[in-house]
Amino acid sequence: MRVNECESMQGAGGDPWSSAWERAARGPVAVVDCREEIPCNPCEEACARGAIKVGEDICASPRFDPGLCDGCGRCVTLCPGMAVFLLDRSHGKGVARVTVPYEMGGELLEGGEAWAMDEDGNALGTAEIVKVKRTGGRTGTLLVTVEVPEGWALKVRGVRDRLISLEAPEETDAEQRERDYHLCRCEEINVSDVRGQAGWFNSLRALRRYSRAGLGYCQGRFCQDLLRRELAQTLHAGEGEVGAFKVRPPVRPVKLGRLGGEDA
Amino acid sequence: MSLAVEEREMAVVGSGPAGMCAALAAVRAGADVVVLDENERAGGQLTKQIHRFFGSRRHGAGKRGFEIAAELERECRGEGVELRLSSTVLGFFPGGELMVEGEDGVYVLRARAVVMATGASEKSLAFPGWTLPGVMGAGAAQTLVNLHGVLPGRRVLMVGTGNVGLIVSYQLLQAGAEVVGILDISDRVGGYEVHYRRVRREGVPFYLRHRVVEARGEEGVEEVLVEEVGRGRGRVLRADAICLAVGLSPLAELAAMRGCRMVYSRELGGFLPWHDGEMRTDRPGTYVAGDAAGVEEASVAMEEGRMAGISAVEDLGRMRGEEAERARSEVRRFLLELRGGPYGEGKLRAKECLYCA
Ligand SMILES: Cc1cc2nc3c(=O)[nH]c(=O)nc-3n(C[C@H](O)[C@H](O)[C@H](O)COP(=O)(O)OP(=O)(O)OC[C@H]3O[C@@H](n4cnc5c(N)ncnc54)[C@H](O)[C@@H]3O)c2cc1C
Ligand code: SF4
Ligand code: SF4
Repeated sequence: MRVNECESMQGAGGDPWSSAWERAARGPVAVVDCREEIPCNPCEEACARGAIKVGEDICASPRFDPGLCDGCGRCVTLCPGMAVFLLDRSHGKGVARVTVPYEMGGELLEGGEAWAMDEDGNALGTAEIVKVKRTGGRTGTLLVTVEVPEGWALKVRGVRDRLISLEAPEETDAEQRERDYHLCRCEEINVSDVRGQAGWFNSLRALRRYSRAGLGYCQGRFCQDLLRRELAQTLHAGEGEVGAFKVRPPVRPVKLGRLGGEDA
Repeated sequence: MSLAVEEREMAVVGSGPAGMCAALAAVRAGADVVVLDENERAGGQLTKQIHRFFGSRRHGAGKRGFEIAAELERECRGEGVELRLSSTVLGFFPGGELMVEGEDGVYVLRARAVVMATGASEKSLAFPGWTLPGVMGAGAAQTLVNLHGVLPGRRVLMVGTGNVGLIVSYQLLQAGAEVVGILDISDRVGGYEVHYRRVRREGVPFYLRHRVVEARGEEGVEEVLVEEVGRGRGRVLRADAICLAVGLSPLAELAAMRGCRMVYSRELGGFLPWHDGEMRTDRPGTYVAGDAAGVEEASVAMEEGRMAGISAVEDLGRMRGEEAERARSEVRRFLLELRGGPYGEGKLRAKECLYCA
């Protein structure tokens, strides 16, 4: 249950972009585009002016008071979801400036151009980079400000230094030749073996004892999970019901000589 | 065969956030603590994470994973925790002894309290062609990219839209790979919306309600046939690597070997040692914390670690009951907060189910 402490605080509901619109006419303002209830709150601490509130309940989505925000951008840097942006409409009619966090390592220079991307990864077009702010360290996030036509202002969510084409290939018929495949690589046990013999075994331990599946070098570390799922499916049982292998030491492969207490 | 035996008051297996927080809580109460980890660096999963962590600020969120690890490590060293790295625990015997392979050989470590904070292992997925080179776990891909600076492939298909799949996809893009798609059998994205959207805005196609039919190639993956479930229509994606992010399961072999009662929880990732709300298993002097006690998040792992550490020092007679209870009630409150919201709800219910089972 969540109660807005303050009338001016935007609740989780409204569109944070359009509600920042008016305030942005006077200079940069944050747009906190985070609506889901996740256990997260770095944005709250990032803001020294108290404009972002998550509150006691860390899963509450952040509430934002545009009246307290001075557009410093600290929250843009610190939000791990890269869900905070700055919107600024104070640079003349018909244009808007949008600041986005950038961590892709491309060459983005002030005065240069970048592709402005929308929410779905479509390029809106190119835009002038008016500012690049480095926020510290090798792994620092860049804050990139681009100037865009006002019409794009509410759409820009990211920038790229170049476009890549990631079109989905054409659909085809999924012609399926049924092919058998290993479930246990070490002992070369196939999915057909498990399906074929499942009637004899009702547990993973029995399956291992009789088929040797899971007895190879990896000691079941890679295949146990696959065998369990397949056996459970074939038997129409829960994965918990078919159980687990009995564990024997060593739990990691180790040279036998070392077990004798000798140095390697 | 006789192995050297070392006696210690308390041992922690695993130096991830859970292990280090357990050690810190215990050492602060005056216990003698050694932390064993198979890796050369302390920090567990955190050492691989170059992204800023979501989670609570109290637990370092907003910082990058490896930075959180470094901080915990500094604290541990400062407080006198012995961090023994490159040391693999091979066995945990019903008498409570650990068999350890260290740099100079194998020895036995006998401790009066043992916390298992071994983390989780990646689940796998089988389909025709999954044994071709180029198919790997997302965690393995992450190790390649973030620790060794090597790309798993130039064109990668990610399987799984949970947070791990989304975060690793983003890191692959950062490292210069193309992510040709993210596929999930479910019809909705599993991870947080903010993570979905930052991958989506890079233009990565999402294939929901899809499955991998087969991977094809001669010496490695060259293309992947994917299919929309139930429609019989598919696409052939050109990819030279497939990363599997299909979930994690608690790494609980040591607990099973110790004879702990094991329980199965779908919600928490699979088989795990039964434990109570104070992180005690049903074996004396044996505790569990973090992903090994059910796959969740780093912030939760830290609090569970603290909880285990407190319970251990109480049982060792180093902390009075009321004091321990006071400390635990604080941890309980944090855990409850962290498990709020729609994502935490299921975990909370699964844990509660466990505590009273
Ligand atoms: C890609 C990815 C992104 C993530 N992002 C986030 C995030 O943003 N925020 C968040 O809160 N969480 C995140 N997590 C989850 C988080 O990393 C884990 O929940 C957390 O690390 C669990 O901590 P742990 O201490 O239980 O285990 P781990 O960190 O896994 O540590 C366990 C340690 O024990 C060692 N070990 C295991 N067995 C043995 C043995 N037999 N002998 C010796 N040593 C052993 C392991 O090598 C490892 O070092 C992410 C996880 C992944 C995979
Ligand atoms: S831009 Fe600065 S003032 Fe505005 S919400 Fe973010 S941190 Fe606070
Ligand atoms: S830090 Fe970012 S992702 Fe986390 S709650 Fe705040 S806005 Fe949302």
